[in-house]
Amino acid sequence: MPKPIGPARRIKPYQVIQAVLGAGFAGYLLWRLYQVFIAAPEYGADTWARFLITGAILGGVYALIAIGYTLVYGILRMINFAHGDIMMLGAFGGYFVLETTRSIPIGSSNFSDAYPVWSVLAAFLAGVAVATVSGYFLERIAYRPLRGAPRLVPLISAIGASIFLENAAQLLFGAQRRDYANPAVLTRGEGWTLAIGGTDVILPYTGVLTFVLSILLMLALYALVMRTRLGRSMRAVAENKQVAALMGIDVDGVISRTFIISGALAGAAGVMWGLHLGLVYHFVGFIPGIKAFTAAVLGGIGSVPGAMLGGLFLGLVESLGPAVLGINFQLKDVIAFGILVLVLIFRPTGIVGEVLTEEKV
Amino acid sequence: MKTLIRRSLKTGLVFGILTVFLFLIGFTGTAANLLADLFHNEFGDPLLGRTPLMLNTVVFLGLIGLWAGAGGASREEDLPGDPVSASVLGGAAAGLVHGLSVGAVAWLIGGLNARGVMMNKYLAELLPIAIRQFLVGFSPAAAGVFYLLFLTAAGALGGGARHALGRGSGRYRTALQAHARDRIEALPFYRTAVAHPAAKYVLYGLLLAGVLLLPLFAGQYWNYTIGTVGIYVLLGLGLNIVVGLAGLLDLGYVAFFAIGAYAMALLTAPTPHNLLWNFWLVIPIGILLAAITGILLGAPVLRMRGDYLAIVTLGFGEIIRILSKSDDLTPFTNGPKGVPSVGGPTFFGLNVNNNIAFVYLIFLSVILVIFVTNRLQNSRVGRAWEAMREDETVSRAMGINTLTQKLLAFAIGAAFAGLGGALFASRNQFTGPEDFNLMVSINVVSLVIVGGMGSIPGVIAGALVLKGLPEMMRQLEDYRIMVFGALLVVMMLWRPAGLIPSSRRKMETAADSGVVDTTEQKGVK
Repeated sequence: MPKPIGPARRIKPYQVIQAVLGAGFAGYLLWRLYQVFIAAPEYGADTWARFLITGAILGGVYALIAIGYTLVYGILRMINFAHGDIMMLGAFGGYFVLETTRSIPIGSSNFSDAYPVWSVLAAFLAGVAVATVSGYFLERIAYRPLRGAPRLVPLISAIGASIFLENAAQLLFGAQRRDYANPAVLTRGEGWTLAIGGTDVILPYTGVLTFVLSILLMLALYALVMRTRLGRSMRAVAENKQVAALMGIDVDGVISRTFIISGALAGAAGVMWGLHLGLVYHFVGFIPGIKAFTAAVLGGIGSVPGAMLGGLFLGLVESLGPAVLGINFQLKDVIAFGILVLVLIFRPTGIVGEVLTEEKV
Repeated sequence: MKTLIRRSLKTGLVFGILTVFLFLIGFTGTAANLLADLFHNEFGDPLLGRTPLMLNTVVFLGLIGLWAGAGGASREEDLPGDPVSASVLGGAAAGLVHGLSVGAVAWLIGGLNARGVMMNKYLAELLPIAIRQFLVGFSPAAAGVFYLLFLTAAGALGGGARHALGRGSGRYRTALQAHARDRIEALPFYRTAVAHPAAKYVLYGLLLAGVLLLPLFAGQYWNYTIGTVGIYVLLGLGLNIVVGLAGLLDLGYVAFFAIGAYAMALLTAPTPHNLLWNFWLVIPIGILLAAITGILLGAPVLRMRGDYLAIVTLGFGEIIRILSKSDDLTPFTNGPKGVPSVGGPTFFGLNVNNNIAFVYLIFLSVILVIFVTNRLQNSRVGRAWEAMREDETVSRAMGINTLTQKLLAFAIGAAFAGLGGALFASRNQFTGPEDFNLMVSINVVSLVIVGGMGSIPGVIAGALVLKGLPEMMRQLEDYRIMVFGALLVVMMLWRPAGLIPSSRRKMETAADSGVVDTTEQKGVK
């Protein structure tokens, strides 16, 4: 094959900087891995197992929230800043149901402990319902009238909606942190015991429930996006709204449904967050929201499998990172954001992201 | 008829949800207190002791009912025949739905309360006393019926009032305004004054003099508030260069603010380093450090566009905050405790470390920064920035080195934030990690957008509205952040170009408005 005609490829200065930085970082990582695992092992296998379990569970929740960001971003090219707060509302929905089931006495026990499956199911349904409804109204009130406005306008509207939801929740439910009332069989901290390296490692029931459920939901969503008529219209609208409209797709309806779906996932994630981590308050969605957005960008924003991978990856990095890199555990958020910056510098399309054309970016 | 029913149903439901929401967040009680202040009937209800007269609650709910009725009132096209009765009917229908929804909730809450359910465990504001106020002293069922009748009547009244006012008042008002304008313009003095070229300067001069004299008469609290607004104007002007002119969305702007503040704190405070440098020496150091950080951060990330840039800068801002409170850096930054007794300015050996002096110092900085921004905006650099904001590819084709221009914008924006941070730390005599959370960045972005991107008066107006107005609503303290959020949404729906759009941008949006375009996002990329 003849060589393509054109000027010789010039190496730009920033590429040199990127290469040097990248090589340095990769070298440091390898050296740390060598240190941690071979030269001077600080932690035993049991500790690593614990980190892995924590990371995977957290990653599952992040992935669920991240899908919501990715779906909305894919279609509207907009960061739905209030998505974390939708999750918070979902967590509150589940909280109230669990509190109610606990307060219904059945013999010497209560409904929540007597029928844990039903009460947890009801909590999930309530959380999903609340989040779905609020997601729908959020889109109708704060985003739909701004279709076609300059890009910053819906972003500011989203920020405003986020602030409103957080503070309305504070006024409604009070500022105190509430304990999630799990049924007795799902008591936090209890689980199967695994003997790893001679030490017992607990695999928490809530964590397993969270992880399995999030994987199932993700698979269901993937099937929905790839296999159903609605999923096809969503992909078409994400590709090009005008052409999609010409093909007879109700663009506004598809966008509404996208918000409903992402709200439902966030609601489920909120109830999981409550069941597993146990605290719910008006600000609970903020940090997971930002982390999940990071995860969505890591995976390649706009791509559903990317968001899943990104979420799991971020959860693992957060729990393993401080130990591997040998820094204080307080700085796990720095690692999360640091990775985000690095990924965006070296591979702006994310792990599995499509190559975005100029006008799409 | 169908539209009438649908509108009444919708309006009634919306207002029903609103009324219940206001009650659930405890606003009904606050509003009743405000009305009590207004009517001077503060002696309180004999039944409820501390809480205000029940009448005030009823008046407040009646006002909402009137509004609901006015919203539900029919327009002329809905019903043939007599427009007055149609309006009243529409209002009454909306009021009926409104009353039905509020009454049902009152009955439910009252009933639960009567059965001894402690609802304030879940909904913080539902204290028994508030529930009693909501039931207007009746039994739950009676309260339900009361709301149904009362709000229907209020709705009918509101519908009628809307008809009466909606028709006549508009015409009357326009006529009155035209008359007043004619009379003023007929005055010979007015005509010569407006025509005179100096008129604008006299007006600005008076305004400036008023602003400059204000701190002398304002109390300590108000001077503190004015200072805060001033610092936010500084931050807004800095971000205005980055977002408004160069079109780079920076959500981690607080990082530069933090760097300025920490530079001031660490170099002048007795702990943790005991350097005790002079205030005037540290100010330029803070500015310079912030600008250098701006370049260092900008260099790798500025090739990105749009939201990616926003999210990277957001991450960077959080990194700075987390680092500043981490244990590893505690010996250097004093960790989460923050740095106390930050040094203040001295003026020829005179200690001028008081609120009034600081307000003037902030004013001086604001004027300086306005001057610099104004000169930059109208220079070659400013035009390059605006070209870049509108279309990066085209601007590069026109020979603009976009990377250099972006770095320059980032550095100058960061420098202004550094100045703001240094002043902030010195005025508060304290600085700590929690001063630099994400809300600061979000506030600054919001004030730039709400004021009008790329417009200097817009930034000042934005800072006054978003930082000054909430301070004036101290009585409604609990609600102001929520209202701030709602205000952002409403502003974007109602006036997306900002309060005072820049003239150049106004022309652009006017030219764009004819284009039907939903897929391509314009503006900041």
